[in-house]
Amino acid sequence: MRMRVNQLMGAAQSFASVYKRNKSGLLGLVILLFFIFTAIFAPFLSPYNPYKRVDRPLLRPSREYLLGTNDIGQDIFSELIYGTRVSLTIGFVAALFTVIIGTLMGVVSGLIGGGVDEILMRFTDVIMILPSIPLLILLMALFGKQSFFIMILAISITGWTGTARLVRSSTLSIKERTYVEAAKAVGAGDRHIIIKHIIPNVSPLIMATMIYAVASAMMAEAGLAFLGLGDPSHKSWGMILHYAETRGGWFANMGNPAWWWIIPPGLCIALTIASLVLIGQTLEEIINPRLRRR
Amino acid sequence: MITFGIVISLIFFLARSAGTDPFERYLSEDPRIPPDQIQRLRHRFGLDKPLWMQYLDFIRNTLRGEFGYSLYYHMPVFDKVMQVMPYTLFLLSISIVLSTIVSFVLGVFFAWKRGTGVDIYGTNICMFIRSTPHFWLGMILLLVFAYYIPKFPLFGALTPGLQHANAFDFIRDLLWHSTLPLTTLLVRQIGMYVLYMRNATVEVFGEDYMLTAKAKGVPVRSIMFKHAARNAMLPMVTVTALRFGFMVNGAILTETVFSFPGTGRLIYLAIMNDDFFLLQGAFFIISITVLLANLVADLICGYLDPRIQL
Repeated sequence: MRMRVNQLMGAAQSFASVYKRNKSGLLGLVILLFFIFTAIFAPFLSPYNPYKRVDRPLLRPSREYLLGTNDIGQDIFSELIYGTRVSLTIGFVAALFTVIIGTLMGVVSGLIGGGVDEILMRFTDVIMILPSIPLLILLMALFGKQSFFIMILAISITGWTGTARLVRSSTLSIKERTYVEAAKAVGAGDRHIIIKHIIPNVSPLIMATMIYAVASAMMAEAGLAFLGLGDPSHKSWGMILHYAETRGGWFANMGNPAWWWIIPPGLCIALTIASLVLIGQTLEEIINPRLRRR
Repeated sequence: MITFGIVISLIFFLARSAGTDPFERYLSEDPRIPPDQIQRLRHRFGLDKPLWMQYLDFIRNTLRGEFGYSLYYHMPVFDKVMQVMPYTLFLLSISIVLSTIVSFVLGVFFAWKRGTGVDIYGTNICMFIRSTPHFWLGMILLLVFAYYIPKFPLFGALTPGLQHANAFDFIRDLLWHSTLPLTTLLVRQIGMYVLYMRNATVEVFGEDYMLTAKAKGVPVRSIMFKHAARNAMLPMVTVTALRFGFMVNGAILTETVFSFPGTGRLIYLAIMNDDFFLLQGAFFIISITVLLANLVADLICGYLDPRIQL
């Protein structure tokens, strides 16, 4: 046990030392941590309740309301801070489910092979090729209710294809290695092989995929929320933009657009996703050193 | 063929598993309609048949091009979708061609300058752009180029009520209206595919024939575009095949922002009006279009690289 812990610590240290050398990876991590911090401490950071009317509608940014107010007089800065919570939660939870589904599909497909593999991969291909937003919209429409969890569910059901393909191909290569064959020769079952050999070996890969999955889940969430499929009691960044679009952010004061309502939420989305992509790339470089020399 | 089968089954399965049939969904809460009337309607539309027969009916109707009836527009879904499809195809085809060319050239350029300031700034800007949502990019463009510098129209594809004198006038009006939507799609696409192209080209730079070309004294431009780019093109074509679905996502969001009357906006309106059949039909028609485009891309791929077996 002790040795195991030491081993893990050593691995973590060498990982950190490689990661530290990557400037863009660090930048991504800092930005992401900033948003995670904001999400966790939202109640302490936001000056007002984002669901309460605090002043006259469509006020310009001032010292009192850092980013002004929206059409019904809610403080946009507070909306943004609470929105961080919603957007990040949906992103991370949906990504977790996505990766679990994808890993299961990939491992089963790669390990069993044959007809099962053929069918599963054919299915994966179709879902991968189909445009994801119409598929998501259709799913959400079928579930019939606009809720936080249905959004997460829909994103997880449609997003697992990339992970499945990646995990399958690495399962195929791990399956052929001598230690797996040795395990099989002494009578290890599929479950043992999956838990003891395949999962540990694909887990670094899954980590990197997970980060990208968060990015694409957040992008999907933003799109759906913008199209008006979000949960009104959990305002995300995408939903703030939806309201800005449909409730007259464009003609705020005497026909002038309320830029303070439109620009900040999108900037937050873009920064978070960019930071995730930066982290993902760094992880990929660490896992696959061949990429590092570029 | 199998793929189409999967898509049809997927839609049927999804629609059925939701557990609501249309009459229950839209009519059962209306007190003016007696329950036996609903039963009669269900019978007339075959909803009381066993599931597998409904499935066969569904396939038969789909093959005949019958996708149901739009409750909001009071016309067949197929006709409505076909009415707006040209606008979307127009946006998509132009942005696919232009973005491919631009990302191709820029990608090779960045790869050539790899490690220098141009490459680092360029790739970072691309990274940021690919992280922005389409609709927000569109909103920013609207904000800047339609409000603060009012050069382009705020919405639509054609000037409302304007009679076009001739085809040339029509095209000019259309292009003027579609400049901003097209720019949104283009910028976003380029941001994404420059990175792919750059990485593919960098990989090719490691090959032996590149060194040979340099040693032979082949001019730089020729090395870049004849040796490197040509070989890096293959992964790009493969990516292009996977791109159609993504492009459609972009088109939906972009058309919504610019009120551009294409399929994407139709889907948005279908959500707003709770027009489920329109949504389902539009999804199906879009899926088929994407699958066909994909098939074409596969054929091109096979032509460019005979090693790939179809």
